[in-house]
Amino acid sequence: MRKVLIDCDPGHDDAVAILYAARHLDLVGVTTIFGNQTTALTTQNALKVLTLARLDVPVAQGCARPLLGEAPLAPDTHGPSGLDGVELPEPNRPAIDMHAIDFIIEAARRWQDELVLAITGAHTNVAMALRLEPRLKSWLAEITIMGGTAGVGNLRAQACVNILSDPEAAHIVFTSGVPIRWIGYETTRDVLMGEGDIARLDAGGKVARAVGDIARYYRARQRTVYGIDGAPMHDACAIVPFARPGLIGYAPVPIEVVLGANLARGMTLVDRRPIQPGVALSSVQAKKSANALMAVQVDVRGVIDALVDTMLSYE
Amino acid sequence: MASRPKILIDCDPGHDDAVAILFAHRHLDLVGVTTVHGNNTLANTTLNALRVLALGAIAVPVAAGAAVPLVQDANPPAALHGSSGLDGASLPAPVAAPLALHGAEFIIEMASKHRGALVLAVLGPQTNVALALRREPRLKDWLAEITIMGGSTALGNITPVAEFNIHCDPEAAAIVFESGVPIRMVGYNVTRTTGFDGHDIARLRASGRGVARTMADLLDFYLHKQRQAFALELAPMHDVCAIVPYVAPQLIDYAHTSVSVELAGTHTRGQTVCDLRNVQAAAALHLRGLAPANARVALAARARPLIDLVIDTLLTYP
Repeated sequence: MRKVLIDCDPGHDDAVAILYAARHLDLVGVTTIFGNQTTALTTQNALKVLTLARLDVPVAQGCARPLLGEAPLAPDTHGPSGLDGVELPEPNRPAIDMHAIDFIIEAARRWQDELVLAITGAHTNVAMALRLEPRLKSWLAEITIMGGTAGVGNLRAQACVNILSDPEAAHIVFTSGVPIRWIGYETTRDVLMGEGDIARLDAGGKVARAVGDIARYYRARQRTVYGIDGAPMHDACAIVPFARPGLIGYAPVPIEVVLGANLARGMTLVDRRPIQPGVALSSVQAKKSANALMAVQVDVRGVIDALVDTMLSYE
Repeated sequence: MASRPKILIDCDPGHDDAVAILFAHRHLDLVGVTTVHGNNTLANTTLNALRVLALGAIAVPVAAGAAVPLVQDANPPAALHGSSGLDGASLPAPVAAPLALHGAEFIIEMASKHRGALVLAVLGPQTNVALALRREPRLKDWLAEITIMGGSTALGNITPVAEFNIHCDPEAAAIVFESGVPIRMVGYNVTRTTGFDGHDIARLRASGRGVARTMADLLDFYLHKQRQAFALELAPMHDVCAIVPYVAPQLIDYAHTSVSVELAGTHTRGQTVCDLRNVQAAAALHLRGLAPANARVALAARARPLIDLVIDTLLTYP
């Protein structure tokens, strides 16, 4: 089983990703970051979800703010708690007495070449870990990212919350040299749990019913804010391929994060021109070599069914 | 009399860093040295720091920090210090190895150990300090003051408006200036006026003392480079100006104002934008770019007494 560590900001779709990973992979830990709410709140949410599912996975709290500036929050779709709309038990233990940055470094050191690091929130913890431990980039097997977009955005016209929350940190991750698997919002916004999926969850055990509530609340917010009719399972898309490789197809692309102080700040710039990398013509800028595998097609029904089946497999 | 202030020096030796280390150890309680990329590679700045400490028989721990800037691509080494980063003299071999922890972690450890009492001198790119501030949110309350050699209120050196240390890692500098820690900054506008000339170097050499002679050799090299590059007859002692206020506060004048680091400008990335307008509150209605004061910024120095103090200090070494 692949070892995976999820760095996240639960968050409705983060919660589903955690529950999926715990069932099919060796989830060695969860580290938390701000984004859907403050780090303190996302940490509590992570602990509550794990407590609900009786999962003995350590949670290490991470950075409270991005590298530059203050922490921007996106509670419009997740509510004041960061995980509104579902009743979760109080955590049965606290976060461990170790910073997320150190936990990431120690896990990668312990499981060199085996550990997959999933980032489904802001990239601050991972960027700090990469800078404080230069060997980390050779220890990690892969980084799998949900964040940014190659098309329409959410918080901005063409940019998304996870990257916008800390563009400098995302730049550090995307230039790190670690093999990267990336799925953008333009794709995940169509990976929707609908009424039928929620009905199936409502008929299941307590974990499935909680996920049904999560999907119901999230779907309602998506309708109000974006006119999307369904609960998008963004973050699970970064995890599912490690258990079900056939469900998502990838193509290698060069991708970089736009920094600076302009309208494009926080954009993930993907070069999808069908030209050879490295070849420059007089006015056609050379395409850089690929630094990530970009998700280009998703078996949406396959992914959603896999998620629902997984939630139903919990007691 | 109060005991000497405790100081930790984060630096990239560097000729002027070397002078600052020897000066600090003689007058203050130097508790450690951390090294960073900048004047040369981290490997070389670390080796140079160890060799300077060996030269001065200074037994303090050294921790190597960041090899690359926080966000931007790595910079080429500065030519002014030679290929080793400290060319011009044969320095003794190190007498100790660096600690096993990252310089940023060591800064956190020492600040925690000496809460409210530690001055952190930042004499190179600010990468380590930025990492430490983001790794440990309480650090900003533990440090007594950060004293910076970097930036400028006016012209730059590496670019028309940016000074080398800030330009090497502008994002790190932005983090430091926004941190809320009391800051003292001496920029290139002042340090370019405070330098050794040929007579100062001759005074060192004439003493017959070993450390002074080695420093004279180093400074001869540095002066030669300054002549070549800028037609200067002065070897600017940038870094020691960040230490002097804790020894002879009357030698440098400061203004308390706001400093912001420009990150996005095509022509101005790495500039320290210092508000010296002396804006009166009531008249501020239509002015822009106002920000809370976050630093004491050096405006002028009494160069000759400052340099004499530094030479006298170097002459106290055997």
